Amino acid sequence: MADEDPATITVMVVDDHPIWRDAVARDLADEGFAVVATADGVAAARRRAAVVRPDVVLMDMQLADGDGAAATVGVLEVSPTSRVLVLSASGERDDVLQAVKAGATGYLVKSASKAELTEAVAETAQGRAVFTPGLAGLVLGEYRRIARGPGATPSGPTLTERETEVLRYVAKGLTAKQIAAKLSVSHRTVENHVQATFRKLQVANRVELTRYAIEHGLDKNP
Amino acid sequence: MSTTIRTSTDPTTPLWRAAQVFRLLSYLYAAGFQIASVDDLERPALGWVLFGVLSAWTLACAVAYLHGFGRRPAWVGAEFVVVIGMIWATRLVASEDWIAANQSWPTTLWATNAPISAAILAGPIVGMGTGVAVMAVYAALKGSVSFDFTRNATIVIELAVGLAVGMAAQTARRAHAELERAVRMSAVVAERERLARQVHDGVIQVLALVARRGHEIGGPTAELAALAGEQERALRRLVSVETVRDGVDAEFVDLRTPLNGRADDRVVVSVPGTPVLLGAAVVAELDAAVGNVLDNVRAHAGPAARAFVLLEDLGDSVTISVRDDGVGMPPERLAQARSEGRMGISQSIVGRLEALSGSARLTTAPGEGVEWELTVPTHRPEAGPQRG
Repeated sequence: MADEDPATITVMVVDDHPIWRDAVARDLADEGFAVVATADGVAAARRRAAVVRPDVVLMDMQLADGDGAAATVGVLEVSPTSRVLVLSASGERDDVLQAVKAGATGYLVKSASKAELTEAVAETAQGRAVFTPGLAGLVLGEYRRIARGPGATPSGPTLTERETEVLRYVAKGLTAKQIAAKLSVSHRTVENHVQATFRKLQVANRVELTRYAIEHGLDKNP
Repeated sequence: MSTTIRTSTDPTTPLWRAAQVFRLLSYLYAAGFQIASVDDLERPALGWVLFGVLSAWTLACAVAYLHGFGRRPAWVGAEFVVVIGMIWATRLVASEDWIAANQSWPTTLWATNAPISAAILAGPIVGMGTGVAVMAVYAALKGSVSFDFTRNATIVIELAVGLAVGMAAQTARRAHAELERAVRMSAVVAERERLARQVHDGVIQVLALVARRGHEIGGPTAELAALAGEQERALRRLVSVETVRDGVDAEFVDLRTPLNGRADDRVVVSVPGTPVLLGAAVVAELDAAVGNVLDNVRAHAGPAARAFVLLEDLGDSVTISVRDDGVGMPPERLAQARSEGRMGISQSIVGRLEALSGSARLTTAPGEGVEWELTVPTHRPEAGPQRG
């Protein structure tokens, strides 16, 4: 833990279940990651992230004092260079989508194996999106909802045809490599497309939040 | 004044307000009667003094009942005493002849305020009782009781007012109590659901942990791990069904619910975050078609094959893609199977979708698995139900 090797990836584990939190922290430490902090809730995660500035934050969705989406917002506010990987137990639902909108770049179910977890943390640290078919289905559904919703505006986020294609392939269980082969593009290009779908939702969310804040006078300091 | 101010939660507040409107009208009538008859009184000056007291008391009552601090036995009792006193005071200002020929000096209408207040405060029995008491004092003043209801129905009216207003107050209180009970019940249910979510989440986490560790340890523990994993998935399905059920009306069913139920070790289901509402019959048919496709995967795709179900809501149509990563087949074999009449399941899938005016398309290649794309039009009402 006292290892100051710059190559070592620092991780913070946010989970309200002590057994699970410790098990994950131990697993990651065994694999050579530096688990620099753990937290059980939104407030603790924010406080500690401000101090330790972890490379990767492993985020549970259900926390002691709120949800993972709120904690993601808090952590990224005080440590913008951190990357948030959601590790959720309760399946892929609206709350995971909220965490993605708040800035999470990856998602993994808790039933994932140790190897999958290790790989996901390493990929997240490198700035790559960790995606499951389930999350692709959610993101795709969100864009479709925005497109046909009554509040659809021309400024709302939309997918390019290629991005839609890529998301559909991911949701149907194809790996990035398989998709790259199908579309005759590079592996990296496929990943860029996936990340773009995330980023646009995050930006739209931020614009939405800012508009809300201005409309409700929350932008002015009292 | 700070003891019983319950205006906001008091279910009889509207009745008290209405009663003060009546009080105002009865006061105006009493004022008119006073002006018209003051010259006939024996002591008009005292009459004006008493009318001043009556005015002050009327105002005090209106304020007390509207504000809420008068809505208690002591105040309503005081009102009754003042009303009786005023009726009896007729003897001080008027002659025997005048009394015999007229109603009491403060008017019967104004006196009715006492039974009304009593009825709102304590129900129909007390309301009618107060009405009878007021009329008894009135009778004592006149020195006779008139049972000729055809000529003088005042007593009947007093009883009716006490009964009707009292029952209205009682009904309002009972409805309010029922409502409070319902609100309490729903708070209890919400709290139970919140606790259940927490417990479920905890159990899911522990099961997931057991499954993970068990697989790592291997051997007989892997068997336990498999069981834990199975239960974890089952519980996760239950939890997602619970949240999906909220706020969906009966005619339309969320297609995500049955599809999520088909997820297991080999089947990955991806759905949108918002409900995909379709008619119950359509949902049942689509779910059955997906079941057929998955049966096909199990039978033909190979033992290691996994299936991926993707549900997309395009607004005017809904598409379900079911793809497997199994062995697939060359297109010739598909044609061969068709010519040999071995297309049972496939035909039933196509048939189901055509019956829904939709379509079912199959694509396959060797080593590429098989992919079905099922599409149906939605025929939704104009403003489709939206969430969030």
